[in-house]
Amino acid sequence: MQIRSSILSNTEPLVYTTKGNLPISSLEYFHAWENEENHMKFIQGYKLDGEIVKQEAHVYLKKGMGIEAALESF
Amino acid sequence: MANTQAIPKTFRLDLMNGLHAFGASVIRGATTKDSFKAALYLASATIDSTATAYTATGEVSGSGYTAAGIAVTNATAPANTGGTGIVSFWTPSASLVFSTVTLATSFDCVMFYNDTAAGKNAVSVNTFGATTVSAATFTLTMPTNDLTTGLIRLS
Repeated sequence: MQIRSSILSNTEPLVYTTKGNLPISSLEYFHAWENEENHMKFIQGYKLDGEIVKQEAHVYLKKGMGIEAALESF
Repeated sequence: MANTQAIPKTFRLDLMNGLHAFGASVIRGATTKDSFKAALYLASATIDSTATAYTATGEVSGSGYTAAGIAVTNATAPANTGGTGIVSFWTPSASLVFSTVTLATSFDCVMFYNDTAAGKNAVSVNTFGATTVSAATFTLTMPTNDLTTGLIRLS
């Protein structure tokens, strides 16, 4: 148990990227927000030597769309 | 007591549930609700109000993405309650999650369409600003399902 604990503490987390699993220390983290009238977007990811190797995006649609019914008078 | 001309509140809900057909319709195989799907489109595509059905033209492609998109969770039937308005509304009951995809070409649009209908009829087209995804997840969280923000609202 002691050995296993030691191994875990010395293991650097790996991040799944377009170039395979890379140690997190080799990557540069970035994130951005976008807040528009109909949606809000959060983007985050990692770059390797300036190249984006992982990027996720989460969009919140604030509002859907409406259709209005019209009734003609006689 | 005077009469007041109106389109009954229930009519809007009935439309959403397929109870009226003023024109030629289809023979429905069952009384159960239809299945819906959501497909993503490139920012360079021209999906708009003239879209009649799901199309592969302009659809995104990339690792982890299956053509025609993913199933939409529909656990909540259309409703017309929760306010004083006469709005009927419907919203998917869960976020759309495209897991571990790489969509390197910019996309900005999702089309909801009826996957039960033989014609894969379009339901809604929503845009959200140009986006790319690399070896990660793309999530579309739905708006609050009520009469002011629901994904589809008939008023």
